[in-house]
Amino acid sequence: MKRFLSRREWLHLAGGGVGTIALADLLARDQLLGATGGSMLAPKAPHFPGKAKAVISIFCYGGVSHVDSFDPKPELYKRRGEAMTGKGEVVVSQGNPGGLMPSPWAFKKYGQCGMDVSELFPHTGQLVDEIAFIRSMYAISNDHAPALFQMNTGSVLTGFPSMGSWVTYGLGTENQSLPAYVVFTDPRGGPIGGAPNWGNGFMPAAYQGTQFRSTGDPIVDLKPPAEMTPERQRGWLGLLDKLNEEHRRRNPEDTELSARIASYELAYKMQTSAVEAVDVNAESPATQKLYGLDDESTRYFGRQCLMARRLVERGVRFVQIYSGGGNFQESWDAHWDIVENHGMHARETDLPMAGLLRDLKGRGLLDSTLVIWHGEFGRMPISQRMSGRDHNPYGFTVWMAGGGAKGGTAVGTTDEFGYKAVENRKSVNDLHATMLHLLGFNHEKLTYFHNGRHMRLTDVSGEVIREVAR
Amino acid sequence: MHRLWILAFSVALGWGDDLPRQASEILSANCTGCHNAKLKVALLDVTSREGMLKGGERGEALVPGDPLKSRLYRVVAHLDQPSMPPGKKLQDWQIEVIKRWISTGAPLEGKVATPDARAAMAKMEERPITAEERNWWAFRPVKKGTPPGVKDGWVRNPVDAFLLAGMQAKGLRPAPPANPRALIRRVYLDLIGLPPTVEEVDAYLNDTSSDAYEKVVDRLLASPHYGERWARHWLDLVRYSDSGGFEYDRDRPNAWRFRDYVVKSFNQDKPYDVFVREQLAADEINAGSPPSSKDTLVALGYLRLGPEANIKTEQTRMDELDDILSTTGQTLLGVTLGCARCHNHKFDPIPQKDYYRMQAVFAPTAHAEIALVDEETVTRNKEENKRIDERIKPLQKERAALEKPYRDQLIAAERAKLPDYVQEALRTPAEKRTEGQKLNVIQVEKTQNFKEADVIASMTAGDKARHKEIGERIKEIEKQRPTALPTAMAVVESGPKPDPSYFLFRGSPDSKGSVMQPGVLTVAARDEVAFPEAPSDGKSSWRRKAFAEWVTSKENPLTPRVMANRIWQHHFGEGIVRTPSNFGKTGEKPSHPELLDWLAAEFMEKNWSIKAMHRLLVTSSAYRMASDDLEANRKIDPDNRYLWRMPRQRLEAEIIRDSILVVTGSLNAKTGGPGIHPYIDPSLWQGSSGRTWKGLPDSDPETWRRSLYVFSKRTIPLPMLEVFDKPDALTCPRRNRSTTAPQALILMNNSFVLLQAKRFAARLEKEAGGDPGAQVDRAFLLAVSRPPAGNERALSVEFLKTHPKDGLVDFCQALLNSNEFVYQP
Repeated sequence: MKRFLSRREWLHLAGGGVGTIALADLLARDQLLGATGGSMLAPKAPHFPGKAKAVISIFCYGGVSHVDSFDPKPELYKRRGEAMTGKGEVVVSQGNPGGLMPSPWAFKKYGQCGMDVSELFPHTGQLVDEIAFIRSMYAISNDHAPALFQMNTGSVLTGFPSMGSWVTYGLGTENQSLPAYVVFTDPRGGPIGGAPNWGNGFMPAAYQGTQFRSTGDPIVDLKPPAEMTPERQRGWLGLLDKLNEEHRRRNPEDTELSARIASYELAYKMQTSAVEAVDVNAESPATQKLYGLDDESTRYFGRQCLMARRLVERGVRFVQIYSGGGNFQESWDAHWDIVENHGMHARETDLPMAGLLRDLKGRGLLDSTLVIWHGEFGRMPISQRMSGRDHNPYGFTVWMAGGGAKGGTAVGTTDEFGYKAVENRKSVNDLHATMLHLLGFNHEKLTYFHNGRHMRLTDVSGEVIREVAR
Repeated sequence: MHRLWILAFSVALGWGDDLPRQASEILSANCTGCHNAKLKVALLDVTSREGMLKGGERGEALVPGDPLKSRLYRVVAHLDQPSMPPGKKLQDWQIEVIKRWISTGAPLEGKVATPDARAAMAKMEERPITAEERNWWAFRPVKKGTPPGVKDGWVRNPVDAFLLAGMQAKGLRPAPPANPRALIRRVYLDLIGLPPTVEEVDAYLNDTSSDAYEKVVDRLLASPHYGERWARHWLDLVRYSDSGGFEYDRDRPNAWRFRDYVVKSFNQDKPYDVFVREQLAADEINAGSPPSSKDTLVALGYLRLGPEANIKTEQTRMDELDDILSTTGQTLLGVTLGCARCHNHKFDPIPQKDYYRMQAVFAPTAHAEIALVDEETVTRNKEENKRIDERIKPLQKERAALEKPYRDQLIAAERAKLPDYVQEALRTPAEKRTEGQKLNVIQVEKTQNFKEADVIASMTAGDKARHKEIGERIKEIEKQRPTALPTAMAVVESGPKPDPSYFLFRGSPDSKGSVMQPGVLTVAARDEVAFPEAPSDGKSSWRRKAFAEWVTSKENPLTPRVMANRIWQHHFGEGIVRTPSNFGKTGEKPSHPELLDWLAAEFMEKNWSIKAMHRLLVTSSAYRMASDDLEANRKIDPDNRYLWRMPRQRLEAEIIRDSILVVTGSLNAKTGGPGIHPYIDPSLWQGSSGRTWKGLPDSDPETWRRSLYVFSKRTIPLPMLEVFDKPDALTCPRRNRSTTAPQALILMNNSFVLLQAKRFAARLEKEAGGDPGAQVDRAFLLAVSRPPAGNERALSVEFLKTHPKDGLVDFCQALLNSNEFVYQP
């Protein structure tokens, strides 16, 4: 019923077109919205009832160090400055490997489960009982773009649909007047690899991520240039609706034409609903503080986390937030100075992330919202340029919270230095399989037929990491 | 039954005692050919128990006592992928032996025998093709049948005869002819990708000669805009892009020459076989020709258009070759060749060996930028550059010397801040340093550095001035550098004898099999295709030449069928085969197989002329039908597979943008040259690693060129094209046609559209004066090639009268957003 009211609203705004459109048409169009053009994003049931209904991916772009955050390695203190031996070839991306370098941050036990977390993440540390850590992740590439693509699309090559595309393809969206799949980039710039990171690959454009800005209008071209006032816009959209009706009447069987008319209604609604959805000023001062909106260093990422919660609350299916962007120290790519780099990025994100988890929990949304924290790879236990760390795809940590993830657990281990995942190794395919599982999908059966193959997010492998699923 | 049988078998053989020997024999006959100590395919050696326990790439192969946890058992039982042995399954009793042997702890005496490794491996690589497989419709020879003898005035040419016969058999009747305005609009949008002008429509309507329509078709095929439209279809297939993708997404400043080559080839109606041969092997075909033929080397860009990795490894080279093979397989041959990279094709008769034999065709190529001028000019250019380098060198040296003491000072200060253990390493005499200390000292020495700006900041005023002076002198000299030569993005080979290529098990460069000789797609070649030796003084292997000749030989049934089907698809919305790059088992079968063969044969007979095909298809009665629905037909054939009406199709991204430019009178018709950069909101592209987009304002007429010329950057797509399903620079045989709210938002709100709406309004005022009725009439004629119909005129005039201030602009905005505007009638 709510939908019908909003349609009346639309018609009213669109210049009182009710006279030209019969009620039966209206109802038919409502179905059309879910049956043709809109059908691509109409809500769909997964293979089995999933715990999670939505996903928030927090992407620490550049590669966050596991040995400085959630995978303590006391051995690095004991053997600092020594060469790393006995682990096979020491592969670095930029040459001149140094000796073992201890973390500059101390670790401390948190929560009922007694999980080790470094001083970098004191706020997140308090929530470890909600978090499942996978400490034995490995990826294929130690080059940013392929690694980003793998984390986002399952393939190190460019041109494959991203996780959010798969999820919206599988589940549609609960809110047609907001994009189903939203991406926030860092104010310092987007990640390496650009738009293909949230691309739809060979799927229709309906499944591509929409970039949201964190200030001003959230979507580029959400609003017309200033001179085109809302009154003017309503006026010509009303005329457009009438002209399209004339055309449709001559071609009554063509459902595509109706779908396109419906797409304008959605777009029109989106102009207000998208702005409303990200209006963090509508939140209480206490909530704003929870996300760190009162502090310069946490404000930007905090706003994005808060917006993510508001979007998920409104039925958006997949939100991805990039922490880090631009060049050099501006991303988590700590080749130069781990203290300055990770110190800055952790400070910006720790409190807001914890705020997000707390807020989701407080609102009863955490059970149905899967939060995944990850980079595209981890970092080396040895030094680079004296005080930095190079890329390390051989072992790293990601964590999941909510959405059926089993809090207070840790799966798998890296070796004593944190160079390679050794026990219970988990691939990116495994991670994706687990995400899909929590959403109610058998990852082997969520397929899209393309060029003669039933393509999957997990290609031809992947096993659900049962230990982290409730 | 099954279990009983095994039980009986096990009793008969007396399992247990004999298990180790049995297992050993099975392993020897099926596994150790590849997984032995020497070859170690997938880093796995199963000739010893230790080797199995140690395992390979995918971890341990054996867990004694637990077959279900043993990879060895799981892969032979086909519980895990990739299953083993490749391409076949052991007999049930053999699998049972392995299972029981592992259950009993996997005892083994001595080593598992290794068969003659080379022979065993070569055998494993074979995958014979059966007569039945060769008989799949797509691999059969092209046969030109006689068009059905239907007697009906509707039939204008053989295409109609085939279609009508199909319709009649199903009880369908063709839709009535499209009205002339719809027809001319359709054929313009289809052939040149631009709507007709009002005058062109009028001229057509006023032409009473019987061949008025055919004259329009001929004129359009002769228009330079034709190539701009049809090149786009080809560029989609060959994954054209102006940048390399991945981290730096480096611009390819010469890629546009390839785009222009394609446009020109279509405009010249270059025979399709020549067009294909040039892209695969222009260098080898033209070897020894006069220098003027250098221009066709641009065609080799085809081999360079795929994404380019930032860090190059053997693996990324394999990915590059895979991109070429997948693209070539799908685009030219309509087969999903890429599926045979890691194993024999699962559905089609494409052996993995075919893949690697074809990889051997392209493996000898290396990237090269070839100057498109004579050798003398190249030499002169090199010399001039060298002269300038030599003048600059001493200045650079002087500058480095000037910087050195300052830099050293900065470094010394910085070293004092390093952690104790690093400082200790620096203090320790070189010969006494531990391994770790050595690493740390090298790291400090090699990587500690300061930016030039920091160094300059620490200089005395005098040195600062000197530094600046040197910099300026270098800049002055740089200005004298000759302009860069025009170059083609192409490939070269090292000579007539290339390095060997290998069969790769599971597609892994770490698991090399036999050396591969070049070859073709076996199932589509009736006879062995010869790859003649290249002349010993030649520059290349001539492998691509031989391959290209096979691809375009009249004996090859795939090439003409695939291309004829593509041309059909672009005219009629769907192909006769609706999976245009996949004619295999997972593709769709042709709706009209005889028609497809007739077209393929006709295509070759007409010397592979693409324009002849256009003329044939667009002058058929079928093409001239209306797109109206016929209820009786729809009940029988709702999908319109029998083509009883023309489908109404949403226009492609480029045509929507180009149409806006045409109706507003803005189109800048300049052809060719480097790509253009329309404005993109910086929040959509500001990123890392120097990726940037120098967008020009919407008001700059340089951006009002056809969308074909928009610089196609892999990581920064132009939103207006992207939302309307422009593909992202991987081979795309058929674009998606989605309808989404973001499309509506862009056409509603983008400043480019509003600016164009204003220009449209200004044009109307100029051409139709101040009368709202005249303005509306003119606007409809321009935008949708017809006068307003039904209530349209009244509604629009009413709108203009009630919105005196901005009404005309807003009316124009509505027309540019209307459904009819973005659909081909």
